[in-house]
Amino acid sequence: MAARLYRSSDRIIAGVCAGLAEHLGWNVGLVRAIMVASSFFFGAGIFLYAWFWVLVPVAGESPLGGAGTPSAAADAPSERRLKLFRPAAADGSGGPLPGAAGGGSGTGLGDAFGTGAAFGPGGPLAGRGGRRVALGVRELLAGAALLVAASLLLGNQFGLDLPLGTIIPLAVIGTGAVLAWMQLDETRRAGLLNVAGADKPWGVLRFIAGIALVVVGVLIIVAGSGSWELLAPAMLASLGVLAGVGLVLAPWALKFWRDLQQERAGRIREAERAEIGAHLHDSVLQTLALIQKRAGSPQDVTRLARAQERELREWIYQDAARSPGTLATAVKDVCAELEDLHGTAVEVVAVGDAVLTERSQPLVQATREAVLNAVRHAGTPVSVYLEARADAVEVFIKDRGPGFDTAAIAPDRLGIRESVVGRMARIGGSADIVSSASGTEVRLKLPADRNGPEKTGPEKANTEKANTEGTPQHD
Amino acid sequence: MTEQPTPAGATPPIRIVVVDDHAIFRSGLKADLGAGIDVLGEAGTVEEAIAAVTALRPDVVLLDVHLPGGRGGGGREVIAGCAALLASTRFLALSVSDAAEDVVSVIRAGARGYVTKSISGEGITDAIRRVAGGDAVFSPRLAGFVLDAFGTAEVAVEDELDRLSARELEVMRLIARGYSYKEVAKELFISVKTVETHVSAVLRKLQLSSRHELTRWAADRRLL
Repeated sequence: MAARLYRSSDRIIAGVCAGLAEHLGWNVGLVRAIMVASSFFFGAGIFLYAWFWVLVPVAGESPLGGAGTPSAAADAPSERRLKLFRPAAADGSGGPLPGAAGGGSGTGLGDAFGTGAAFGPGGPLAGRGGRRVALGVRELLAGAALLVAASLLLGNQFGLDLPLGTIIPLAVIGTGAVLAWMQLDETRRAGLLNVAGADKPWGVLRFIAGIALVVVGVLIIVAGSGSWELLAPAMLASLGVLAGVGLVLAPWALKFWRDLQQERAGRIREAERAEIGAHLHDSVLQTLALIQKRAGSPQDVTRLARAQERELREWIYQDAARSPGTLATAVKDVCAELEDLHGTAVEVVAVGDAVLTERSQPLVQATREAVLNAVRHAGTPVSVYLEARADAVEVFIKDRGPGFDTAAIAPDRLGIRESVVGRMARIGGSADIVSSASGTEVRLKLPADRNGPEKTGPEKANTEKANTEGTPQHD
Repeated sequence: MTEQPTPAGATPPIRIVVVDDHAIFRSGLKADLGAGIDVLGEAGTVEEAIAAVTALRPDVVLLDVHLPGGRGGGGREVIAGCAALLASTRFLALSVSDAAEDVVSVIRAGARGYVTKSISGEGITDAIRRVAGGDAVFSPRLAGFVLDAFGTAEVAVEDELDRLSARELEVMRLIARGYSYKEVAKELFISVKTVETHVSAVLRKLQLSSRHELTRWAADRRLL
């Protein structure tokens, strides 16, 4: 199936040829050549181009209200997960979110009105890449136009009777229209509502220049048929008419614009609501149903509730710190996993963060073992505190269980001796276990890697011994 | 400030007002509260809360951070509305929220402490007693926020309000590790009263520090 006909963002004038080429599967250059060549047959190419320009939407814009939106909406959620409590996300008009939500809100109102589509998406992404290419070609185009003009003049010189009185004003009008319409495309892309301040003066200038050219062209035609004395009154009259029309249309246009804005805001809200609704349905409602089923088992209920709470929190507050591949995230993940497995609350507090390296991976594993031990034997909520500083990373795992005699850990208790103490020793860190009747705390410390590569094989046993004996006193 | 921070029974009951928009949570909380605490009233919105606190003049207000009504400021707005009473009435913020902005903003408005709603009945009773006694109450998470905001290392800052002393750092760290005040005192070989002094000093710094961007670190926590 051929691609839909869109105007491409990789454009020279309005992206018609590139879009057409994509649609037909032809070479862009070929299409452009044909377009230019056909222009010489009574301007057929030009008319065709103008026709497509007006009627074919820009890539990324839906041609009919909503026709293009479903797909946009479908792949959007993964990108923009809602940040409920971050108001900043709400006013990013023209950004990906409103763009997708408001897709096609304006297009149905007719491209002839032009601005209609400007409220639609057009995504700011479009058109940056193609622009640089277009710059050079545009100059070529201008040169070609000048060449044509020159040859026309030359022909006139040699007695070729050309109706210059008609061609010149028409050319002026055409240039003006092209200028104005190009401007419109640009604003479409940026989203008329939030054209960046830097672009604005230039855009307005272009627009005004376009209008001025058109007016001048019309005036020349008018004046050409009459006399030059009529020019001033004619200009005045046309300006008067324009002003009058503007005056009448302005309030109407303003209202129209506001309605559109409102509708757009409404759509965004609706989309957000739908997303929230969908999420709550998939998560909270399901969990609530499960909880009702498992009402008999307090442990299951706690576990489900904790897991759901965690998931919801993560969704709502979308911790900026929660980036994959960091130590804090890894520790939170293992704690969450154990919480799910055993139904005991594990509260993680993280201060600072560090990149998860090969060296700190065993620290996460040791933390997991320590938490697992606490969850299994203490049966009370477990506090995990992670502090990442420049000089060291420390993890503390505390429970309020009955405690145990650290000296009397049976040699076969692999969990503590090997998985926690041994593991930490192997990476050049230390592990202390302080236990009393009021609870146990495991303190893991991994100093920053100053001596290059970590300690390896043969030293293993020694470091472990050194560590179990001379337990560095904390604080 | 009374001399006995954790008295039992003998002293007059602590008069409190519970402010939370969920009636179920309010009744559950009331049932959880230990002896010696007298619930004078309840409120569910910002306006109700300000009215109730002004009329009842409780010792302690248990204040949810997120509340409907008012201008949308929630607990912060309630404290602002009762600013004149701050000398006699103390606010203890209560929240399900983990967001640093929520917690810190309500503390900066004048709350004397912050606990999460998952706290046990015993824990909340203890926290109320502490706040009533003029002390500050920090949950492990709040201590974590403080450490994150002020930095865990001692750095040279001109304003004394902008950094924590070595002792305060230690105390905050232990609280973040899940230690109770008593355990902190034991660990550091100081009295519980001294721990309370340190925590109150940290609270003061959190409220008054010129680090207006205190809430911003949450967004750009530096990676080491």
